[in-house]
Amino acid sequence: MRLPLRARAARLLVALGLALATVLPAASTAGAQEGELVLKAGTDQDLQVLNPWNSVVVADFEVFTLNYDLLVNFGQNLEPVGGFADSWEQDGTTWTFHIRDGMKWSDGQPATSEDARWTFQLVLDGAETERGYLGQGYLEPYLLEAASMTAVSAPDPSTLVVETDVPNPLILQAYVPILPKHIWEKYTIEQIADPEGAGYFKNEPPVVGTGPYQATEWVPGDHITFTRNPNYWGETAGAADKVIIQHFASGDTMVQALKTGEIDYVRGVLADQFNALKSDPNIATVEGIANGYTELSFNTGGNKEGYGGSTAALSDPKFRDALGYAIDQQRLVDQTLGGYGTPGSTIIPPFHTRWHVEPDNPRRFDIEEAKRRLDAAGYTLNGDGKRLDKEGNVINLRLTWPDSEAENATNAQFIAEWFGQLGITVTPAVTEEGALITDVTGPPNGPANYDIYMWGWVGDPDPNSLLGFFQTEEIGGSSDSYYSNARYDELYDLQRQESDENTRHEYLAEMQNLVYDEAPYIILYYDAELHAYRTDKFGGWTNQPEEGGTPLFGYGSIGYTKLTDLAAAPAPSGSAAAPSGGASAGASGGPAATPAPPGDSTSSGGSNMLPLILGIGALVVIIAVGLVVMRGRRGTAEEE
Amino acid sequence: MRSGYLGRRLMSAFLTIVMITVINFFLFRAMPGSPERILLRNVPNVTEEMKQAAKARWGLDKPVFPDQFIAYVAATAQGDLGFSFVARGTPVAEVMGQRIWPTIILFGIGELLAIVIGLALGAYTGWKRGGAVDYVGNGVSLILYATPYFLLGMMFLVIFSVALGWFPSFGMLTSGATYDSIWDRALDFGSHLALPLIAVTLGLIGQYAIVMRSSIVETLSEEYVTTARGMGLRESRILRHHALPNALLPTVSLIAINLGYIVAGAITLEVVFNWPGLGTLVVEALTARDYPVLQGTFLLLGVSVVLANLAADLVYATLDPRVR
Amino acid sequence: MTAVAIQNDTPRGGRAMGVVGTTKRLVRRPEGLFGVVILGIFTALAVAPNLFVGPLQTAVTATGGRLEPPSLQHVLGTDELGRDMLNLTVHGARISLAIGFLATFITVLLGVVVGIVSGFVGGFTDSGLMRITDFFLVIPTFVLALILTPIIRELVGSATTEVFGIRMTLIVIVIVIGITSWSSTARIVRSQTLSLRERAFVDRARVVGASNGHIMRRHILPNVINLIVANAVLTFATAVLLETTLSFVGLGDPFQPSWGQLLEAARAVGAPGLGVWWYFGPPGLCIILVVLAFTLVGGALDDILNPKRRSRR
Repeated sequence: MRLPLRARAARLLVALGLALATVLPAASTAGAQEGELVLKAGTDQDLQVLNPWNSVVVADFEVFTLNYDLLVNFGQNLEPVGGFADSWEQDGTTWTFHIRDGMKWSDGQPATSEDARWTFQLVLDGAETERGYLGQGYLEPYLLEAASMTAVSAPDPSTLVVETDVPNPLILQAYVPILPKHIWEKYTIEQIADPEGAGYFKNEPPVVGTGPYQATEWVPGDHITFTRNPNYWGETAGAADKVIIQHFASGDTMVQALKTGEIDYVRGVLADQFNALKSDPNIATVEGIANGYTELSFNTGGNKEGYGGSTAALSDPKFRDALGYAIDQQRLVDQTLGGYGTPGSTIIPPFHTRWHVEPDNPRRFDIEEAKRRLDAAGYTLNGDGKRLDKEGNVINLRLTWPDSEAENATNAQFIAEWFGQLGITVTPAVTEEGALITDVTGPPNGPANYDIYMWGWVGDPDPNSLLGFFQTEEIGGSSDSYYSNARYDELYDLQRQESDENTRHEYLAEMQNLVYDEAPYIILYYDAELHAYRTDKFGGWTNQPEEGGTPLFGYGSIGYTKLTDLAAAPAPSGSAAAPSGGASAGASGGPAATPAPPGDSTSSGGSNMLPLILGIGALVVIIAVGLVVMRGRRGTAEEE
Repeated sequence: MRSGYLGRRLMSAFLTIVMITVINFFLFRAMPGSPERILLRNVPNVTEEMKQAAKARWGLDKPVFPDQFIAYVAATAQGDLGFSFVARGTPVAEVMGQRIWPTIILFGIGELLAIVIGLALGAYTGWKRGGAVDYVGNGVSLILYATPYFLLGMMFLVIFSVALGWFPSFGMLTSGATYDSIWDRALDFGSHLALPLIAVTLGLIGQYAIVMRSSIVETLSEEYVTTARGMGLRESRILRHHALPNALLPTVSLIAINLGYIVAGAITLEVVFNWPGLGTLVVEALTARDYPVLQGTFLLLGVSVVLANLAADLVYATLDPRVR
Repeated sequence: MTAVAIQNDTPRGGRAMGVVGTTKRLVRRPEGLFGVVILGIFTALAVAPNLFVGPLQTAVTATGGRLEPPSLQHVLGTDELGRDMLNLTVHGARISLAIGFLATFITVLLGVVVGIVSGFVGGFTDSGLMRITDFFLVIPTFVLALILTPIIRELVGSATTEVFGIRMTLIVIVIVIGITSWSSTARIVRSQTLSLRERAFVDRARVVGASNGHIMRRHILPNVINLIVANAVLTFATAVLLETTLSFVGLGDPFQPSWGQLLEAARAVGAPGLGVWWYFGPPGLCIILVVLAFTLVGGALDDILNPKRRSRR
């Protein structure tokens, strides 16, 4: 009876599968054709945006820089290189850009300065609308705040003139895609700017742009397929005929897919997976430096009027500085990040090689020193060995972090232990992200209700955006430490207006030291960006920047255009496949790795798995036999 | 009488749906974080004017009751569930629409298979009560029942996909592939479907088998079965014509009640297999605080489970004339 | 059948068999014995985990390296923080079982109160309460739990109090499980109450002037105890499963790792793909064993205490 049933079920299953596969929502209408070379990149971020103004996460930015050019693109080392404009000059606060000659949109229409003017004017107009910003409001600050653009004009089809308020060079760092006017002008500013409004323009495929690849298929939240732009202006076009960016809900399955060759590139690998990937001969690993950090933030408002801190000690720079001696940042890097990261110091990450400075008076991990400094600052111990604040109350700090950043729970265990050794009780508890955003908003817009908390920030190619939230005027806005220092505010304005690099460097160095010494933030660590890619299909992987960067998901489409087809040119000079740049020494297998069938790499997990498989089998057998034996005995026991 | 029963069931289902809708409204208002701050959470440098404008736009400046409530009911009745925070600019209904089919396929087939196999297994072990088949079959059912779906899924993934490499490890179709024929496509889909489907089916079989077994055992001890035996009917005939139909009845309501629990399994299993269905959507919405999507899914799942229960009640009523 | 009727007609009949007698009959059944032994072992581990493996290891007090495979020093290997998996699994028993126990307590309490009141008082109270019960019976509990958890966590706040050594974040889970799973208990208790209400001894009590509250406490409750006991044991199994699933989607507490939390942590570091079976194997196995044991004991108790209840609803 069992066999036929099983056979019938199997037949039913196959039949159902076949029937259903035919009615499935199509995922392949624009798929690859025979012989096409497809690059598949995996990310753990949602792919929900094609309208660039709605971009928030890294994947969103990656998508629009494939579709479009910036006015000035980012080069291999983040230097300004030709994008929509191929040259430019500055005259005080007036910038003149020369648009690339003969450039065409992917639909064949000429691409001129009028397109750039229209795009920048949209930004200017967006600020004047009732809504006040476009989409998610992430792109305009590059032009309006950092570069302080005030007007834009296009005197002729190849010239764009931008007027700014201050003569800084940040217009060259503006992360704003130049959009085709002939497509976008059909929509009102509300339709472009308001994702929740009626008739919102999603910019669905086929997208028209000047970038190397154009989105031709989009399954929101799952994947976006890009096809080569036939009119692309670049000299190197990249070997891939198609690029697919694929979303993964689970990082584990994403790495499995890389191992089996189902995808070619992975962004966001976990530390232990990264270690495991290093031994795979067909996979190169890249340890980039993240342009950002994770910090421990203090409520420097303490328990002042309008602030919800539990003690006035939080407002004392000496208190915060002393606590900085009780944090072993290297240990956090080792344990929380699995060794992939750098102990934190100042508020500009080392990623910004041009701007980062190490502090003049660095702290070190030394519990005794921390105790001495607390004593010296007047925070003494009571009879029970607990620290008292200057009002004589026991200091008891609440420590929290958003539930979206679970790894901070590990940091919290350490911090609670270390501060505990100083006589300061720490109560760690996670907070729901939405609630935390409200809690940490300062007066007058929020309760500033926390003592210390951990979260992170991510920066731009220019450090300006990472400096803003220590300004006094940001209290109630983006400032979550409520730090206020007149000299810092002054320096912030000076550096923003400065066009001379050396002078700006001096300002930035002073700002970094100021915040380090007064410690509204203690930067715990600079996380690493862990990426990995297959070396048996594409060559030419190049990190951006070469020092500490990654081949893809960097700043623009440059990494895609440098890829080569290994099958087309079986060059023995396998060094092309090896990533360049010092930080990527993790690339394994060396050059000239012989391409092995992808199946081989997966079998390594098999031996590891054997005990588990045996264990499960044994368990099932034991329980089954146990039940049988006991049941059998029961048969006799029941006849009483 | 019949129509009275039908009316009562319809009324009850309707009331439950109303309750779900109402609770949905208040739960959303009770979520942590002030709504206008959450709605603007991605916007840097929020000003007081922007907050006021946002409040006005979502009607948050009006009293929660009755103004906001009436607006909510009116919108919900028209299928307007608001906009997803994550899928910026996409209505919740559309987001769910993209995800509903994979879930229906996976869990629809899984549920069907589990019902057929589980009930058959339960009936067979119950019929052979006390024999070796019963011990093993019932033991396996109990172990399957005790295993969380996602654990089953994790083990499957490790063994069959990672270690043995028999099946693809993620998704529903190989992304970006084209197919020469519909058969290739079906094959690709089938190979992706196999592992999660087996996990779903095994996860569900346990419960159905256990209930069916005890139901059969009980039926077989009833008087009319003894009578039938006394009349010299063949055992297999007794099983098929007398015991089975009666024993099936209680399982009908079990299957309906179970739907609510299956949702939990769906959520975790889909995450394990990266299956692009409602389950992964719920977890994504949960981690991204996408409250509108979370609420929308709750509403959708709640209403469908209520309707499924209603359907089961009606089936039960037609099968069992004693129910009125 | 008659025997049962007589037994139920005696106000104290429900307890007639006594705890000792029930236990004897339970362990005489093989599946009962199997379950009782397993539960005994895990209860011992849960009551005094320090006795077996020392205090719970934290990131700071971890004794091993990162994801070490099983060795003589670490019999079940270590996790990504170097914590001993045997230590974590044994302490996980304490946390999982404590949450399961508290959640079962709330579930049964709610279910019994609603069931008895609804069945005994009848009328509008009954139909109102049953409306609510039906609602909780059909809605997808798990999704409701997902939504309720952040809300209740917000209400409870970051309170530092602990219940049975369980942090508030996990008490939130307990409350959520309780709120979402009492309905089937209420249904069962109500139907039993309905039949008890018509019995002679209830009428007798009424004649002597006993109040409704008194009758419910003194006459109805003792007679549904049998039902409650078996139901509670089965509820325990589902509570452990529900806690596991909630933790698995990230609603647990890393400071007090339950088995579900360990599975979630294993998934978070990618243990299945790394072949690190010693991370998710032990807690997974424990969950299966405990749920299996509760189900077996619950089923056996049901057979022993309520021999006739299985008749159709």
